[in-house]
Amino acid sequence: MRNLTNKIIFFNRCQSQLSRCAFNSTAKTTQTRFYSRPTSFPDYYQNPIFRKEDQAKLIENNDLSKLATTPFRPPASYETSSVYHDPIVNKVINHVMEDGKKQLARSLVEKAFENVKRIQIERYHLATTPEEKSKIILSPKDILHRAIENSKPLLQLSPIKRGGITYQVPGPITEKRSLFLAIKWLLEAANDKDRTVHFPEQFAWELLDAANNTGKVVKRKQDLHRQCEANRAYAHYRWQ
Amino acid sequence: MRAYLERAKEHDEFMKKQQFEYNIGKRHLANMMGEDPETFTQKDVDRAIEYLFPSGIYDPAARPLMKPPEEVFPARKAAEFDEAGRPHHYLFYTGKPNFFKLLYDAAENIQLLQQFEDKVIRKKATPDPNGKLDLNATFWLTKDQLEQLLVEKLTDLEYDNFKLVMERLVSLPYSYRCKDFIEKFRKSLTSQKFALEIPKPSYDDQGRAFVTTYECLRKKARGDVTIRSPGTGLITINGKDLTYFEDTQSREQVIFPLIFTGLENKVDVECNIEGGGPSGQAGAIRWGIAWGLRSFVDKDMLEAMQVAGLLTRDHRRRERKKPGQPGARKKPTWKRR
Repeated sequence: MRNLTNKIIFFNRCQSQLSRCAFNSTAKTTQTRFYSRPTSFPDYYQNPIFRKEDQAKLIENNDLSKLATTPFRPPASYETSSVYHDPIVNKVINHVMEDGKKQLARSLVEKAFENVKRIQIERYHLATTPEEKSKIILSPKDILHRAIENSKPLLQLSPIKRGGITYQVPGPITEKRSLFLAIKWLLEAANDKDRTVHFPEQFAWELLDAANNTGKVVKRKQDLHRQCEANRAYAHYRWQ
Repeated sequence: MRAYLERAKEHDEFMKKQQFEYNIGKRHLANMMGEDPETFTQKDVDRAIEYLFPSGIYDPAARPLMKPPEEVFPARKAAEFDEAGRPHHYLFYTGKPNFFKLLYDAAENIQLLQQFEDKVIRKKATPDPNGKLDLNATFWLTKDQLEQLLVEKLTDLEYDNFKLVMERLVSLPYSYRCKDFIEKFRKSLTSQKFALEIPKPSYDDQGRAFVTTYECLRKKARGDVTIRSPGTGLITINGKDLTYFEDTQSREQVIFPLIFTGLENKVDVECNIEGGGPSGQAGAIRWGIAWGLRSFVDKDMLEAMQVAGLLTRDHRRRERKKPGQPGARKKPTWKRR
């Protein structure tokens, strides 16, 4: 019995010692927090190169084994090396998405692609001569790429305040913002419709129009360019 | 001066006391664990603490610990001035002499390299292609590591400046000339993990090679993946085929490594998965398949898979909600009053 009490006292003493040690450490060590489960990758992790054409480029330059020593982030859950994966299409799906409902957004865009395909095939069969037939693009992905390329603005207007008056000053636009505006305009045009028309239908028509360099979106782009041209006199406010 | 000496003496005494207490504590721990106190190492101490003071506290920094005092109390600089109180270091009055010395050295190296480049251009020579620095397998010291090296506290901005200057130095064509200087501030990565310990496939009673990867984790999903070769591209997930996943995205994720390696019709995949949602389960299976396929592909494909990021475990988890704010990062709407 005495032995046991002895042990307990002994244990208490140890514990006090230990706890003192522990308290000291928490007080003195830095306050930076790290989580037991990291929520992101450290910045020396590189972005993965997983698409077939990018990989082929690496193999051509013999960079592959050199790069393989570095750590890479895993591809995101929407990225694959499949031939059906297209970053631009993915971007459009993300723009269509509301409240994180990706499956619905994806089905809408795919439905729009189906509509484009149907319309184009109908046109293809209505065309009489081989030259006319060869002019018709049947791939909806190509149509989308063309539509976005045609609706990308080259200039933008930015409000700059000088002497109490806000001027709309034209200036160059970054590649990223121009892509963003093109997709936004296409979707705004598609959503500007009667209630009886479904989104995929209208979106398909807008895509075909824009790919053909006609329609609301291309007109909007040209309007912006015209306005930039008209406001040329203010251009110097960008740097003065 | 006198105050400094007093403080230094106090610190020394304090450290001596802490060291003494640590040693005694270590002996007690050894006795408690029934082991020999003479051969009780720090590793045993950590194990003992974990056993005697089990703690489920979320933040590991808040759990009980017993470390040698040199680790717990940060190192202090020795006297930086002579008897007359005049500082030794020419940058003493910047407050962070070692850090600014480092920046000065880097800038000086940049200037020297530029002068050297001018000289080479005047001679109309071309840079040595073999002399290029190979910085692939190393990365810059982290802020904490740099602080320990310099024995000075740094701000985030200062650390960014350090990185900026060093990146500039490395980007010069003749940077290999100050290799020693650069390598002082780089840390090497652990060797290629993916190439280590590739399991030899076992053989089942039909003579087919198979490899099973256990513990395939992603988000909250966990499971195991078995790959059989030769096969016909059969995929079984919890007893169902690929239609186990209702959305296309998850299905694409599952076949991603198979398509990437071109083995989609040559192996059979069998997996058991539980927990989490479709995206997490698909991610876990993707990693499991990629990890298992290492036994069936050649070295070039292994490297390609590493560069594609297929062999990296996605260890990210949901970040916890913090008290006083509505989400992990989201703050309440700002109101004037």
